[in-house]
Amino acid sequence: MSKILLVEDEKNQRELYAAELIDEGYEIDEASDGKMAVEKVKSNKYDLVVLDIRMPEMDGIEALGKILSRDKKIPIVIHTAYSNYKSNFMTWTADAYVTKSSNLDELKSKIAEILSTRNKV
Amino acid sequence: MKIKKALLHLSIYIPDIVLFAVLIKHGVFDFSRSDHRFLGIVFFLVKILIHNLVYLLCFVRPFTVIKDVLMQFQRGRYSMADNFHVMKSSVCFGEILELLRSTGRYLDNLIGSQNDEIEKFRELYNNVILASNSYFVVLNSRDEIIFSNKSFSANFRYIDDEILGLKLEDVFYIIPGRLSDAIENVKKRGESAVLRKIKLISKRKISLIADIKISRVTIQGEKQYIVVLDDITSQWRKDYQISLISQISESIQRDDEVERILHAILTAVTSGSGLGFNRAMLFLYNDQKKALTGKMAVGPDSMEEAVQIWGAVQNEELNLMGSDNESVPSASAGNAFYKQVITSSFPINSDSLLVNVFNGRSPVHIYDASADPRVDPETREFTDVSEFVVVPLCSANKSLGVIVADNKFNGAPIYEDHVELLSIFASQASLSIDSYNSLSLVKERMEHIQAKQEAIIESEKMAAVGRIAAHIAHEIRNPLVTVGGYARRILQTVKKAPKGTEDIGKAASIILHESERLEKILSNVMDFSRPSPLIREYNNLNDVVKDTYYLLKNVFQERKITPVLELEQKLPLVKSDFNQLKQVVLNLLQNAMDATPTGGKITLKTGLTETHIFIRIRDTGSGISDEVMDKIFDPFFTSKITGVGLGLAVVKKIVNDHNGEIVITNNPEGGCQFSIELLRPS
Ligand SMILES: Nc1ncnc2c1ncn2[C@@H]1O[C@H](COP(=O)(O)OP(=O)(O)OP(=O)(O)O)[C@@H](O)[C@H]1O
Ligand SMILES: [Mg+2]
Repeated sequence: MSKILLVEDEKNQRELYAAELIDEGYEIDEASDGKMAVEKVKSNKYDLVVLDIRMPEMDGIEALGKILSRDKKIPIVIHTAYSNYKSNFMTWTADAYVTKSSNLDELKSKIAEILSTRNKV
Repeated sequence: MKIKKALLHLSIYIPDIVLFAVLIKHGVFDFSRSDHRFLGIVFFLVKILIHNLVYLLCFVRPFTVIKDVLMQFQRGRYSMADNFHVMKSSVCFGEILELLRSTGRYLDNLIGSQNDEIEKFRELYNNVILASNSYFVVLNSRDEIIFSNKSFSANFRYIDDEILGLKLEDVFYIIPGRLSDAIENVKKRGESAVLRKIKLISKRKISLIADIKISRVTIQGEKQYIVVLDDITSQWRKDYQISLISQISESIQRDDEVERILHAILTAVTSGSGLGFNRAMLFLYNDQKKALTGKMAVGPDSMEEAVQIWGAVQNEELNLMGSDNESVPSASAGNAFYKQVITSSFPINSDSLLVNVFNGRSPVHIYDASADPRVDPETREFTDVSEFVVVPLCSANKSLGVIVADNKFNGAPIYEDHVELLSIFASQASLSIDSYNSLSLVKERMEHIQAKQEAIIESEKMAAVGRIAAHIAHEIRNPLVTVGGYARRILQTVKKAPKGTEDIGKAASIILHESERLEKILSNVMDFSRPSPLIREYNNLNDVVKDTYYLLKNVFQERKITPVLELEQKLPLVKSDFNQLKQVVLNLLQNAMDATPTGGKITLKTGLTETHIFIRIRDTGSGISDEVMDKIFDPFFTSKITGVGLGLAVVKKIVNDHNGEIVITNNPEGGCQFSIELLRPS
């Protein structure tokens, strides 16, 4: 069972995504800001990270850099309400960029796609 | 013995004679005054009477003779004594008569020498007055001229004593109120008055500007008034010119038009004693007509009008460029002369005098138009005057036109210094016009730059609006997706749940639908207002289509529309923005779904032509009427109740950014096809 770290500062959203992803059959760990996410990545092993960008304490861009500097191979999906972070080259280092939507199909299909290619390797 | 006696007699009078001489010398005793003379004689007489009282008492007849002599003395005749020889026989009377005679001779000499001196002084005085530039008249209490100096008569063209007995009103056309008031005042109060810059024009057509001094003198009991006119015309002209030039440059700074400068020029040329011309005309080069065309004219139609204008400008101060153009002292628009000038034009290729001056760029002074070969018949007819000047109006790099000036009405000769002044003036004026022109050029450019700047600011503003919009969109999208997400979750839970919860499901689906609509608006508005930089990567269009299709896979199922994918497998990669192309396909797919009824079919096709690579979305919907076709790309055009009308506008923008084309065709079997065609990579 793949283990996913869900980084999201808004509790309501976090719970929703967690429930939906659990329904998809993943094991979910949660973090409510970038700092916590970096800590968790240090002490645990995840198959994938879903990362919000606009967060208090440490934002997603910074967390992205820190996570990748620790583990270059960990897949990251950026999940944000901001479509214009696409132009920030830092986000290009992530495996996918998904604009938040009430429809989670895109997020789910991106996660599934990334995990399946990884598992093949 | 006789002599001795006579000397003795005479010696008595020596102190008295000396006394009188001293008195006369010091001006106490005035021989020119009859009363003084009389007193003197009475003095002597009394002395003689006292000395010769005895003789006089004895001889009455000689007394009448003496009386006779005294009467002669009274009349100022002192050297008559010869006829009194008859009296010599009488010793004492002889002595007396002799005495009187010598006294008389003495007095006569005295007076004679004084007269000489007076005459000398008068001569000197006249010379001084003549030598000064002042014009000088003396009026009596009835305002008649009783004296004028030579320069006055000469300047105002009066011969000898012709002017005597005339009044000032007879000499000048108009006596300005200031002058007549001042004269009245001097008459009443006796204090002198000084007036500055009085403009006068004489009936013999001489004009001048003068400072005037008026003072009162009393001569032989009669009050008289001395009026001195200091001619300051040329000084005034210079001041005027300087002031005018400064006013012109000022007006340029005020951004007034060339017209105004030109008008001021002509006014300066003609206004009274400005440059003293009767009329002035301005011709400017007209590039379209290729001719010198009459632009402006200042001057009266007739002498009468000239005088009227002259009167009207009396109290005008120097203010040609004043805010109120009507106050400019000129007779222009409306009169026949003006009309004549502005309707005239001299073709630039003709041999007209004006054209020659325009090209030659130096002034020409015509003394006799009828005989001068330089004057062409047309100009001759036009000016209708024998003497005139034509002065070019030219700046360093180009000729602008010419000014023609004459003295048509008073026929006064045009002096060289006037021509010179006019040319200096004209060149100053053209300089002003020139700098005005370059100034307005600079201004024009400035405005151009400013407009550009404003456009930049405008787009900056747009960008700022875009940034704000992005921020707001983000703030809205977050709660929105939460609401929509939960609604969707409720909906899914309800589907699995037992019967009786349909109402909850329905409510959840409404929430979901509405939140989705808002989401769509957000992403469209965002992409439309904020130009997101294109990410150029090599993408496979099949991936674009597939990704988008997966997004909407559920919707196809819900609406029972059959998706058909016809993807060309050997597609070359195209440099493009993946997400933006996805947006294009998404918008087109959504439109197609909206148009297609349940049971319909939507075909997604990719492929190649010789030049292009394409994505085609073909539906079995309603198709698009010609009428609607014209408007579908307009932002906010929609035929749907819940539509926003931005879908195709965004499509068009993105496709344009990719240098692609959109081709729309209505299918013969119904529905329509949108084809996005991008250039095939070489
Ligand atoms: N496939 C189609 N078949 C028929 N009509 C179409 C089709 N695509 C677009 N149209 C017409 O063009 C109009 C404009 O489309 P557009 O996508 O710009 O706006 P919209 O779909 O009305 O609103 P939205 O902003 O939600 O997309 C539509 O309202 C519709 O009338
Ligand atoms: Mg649409």
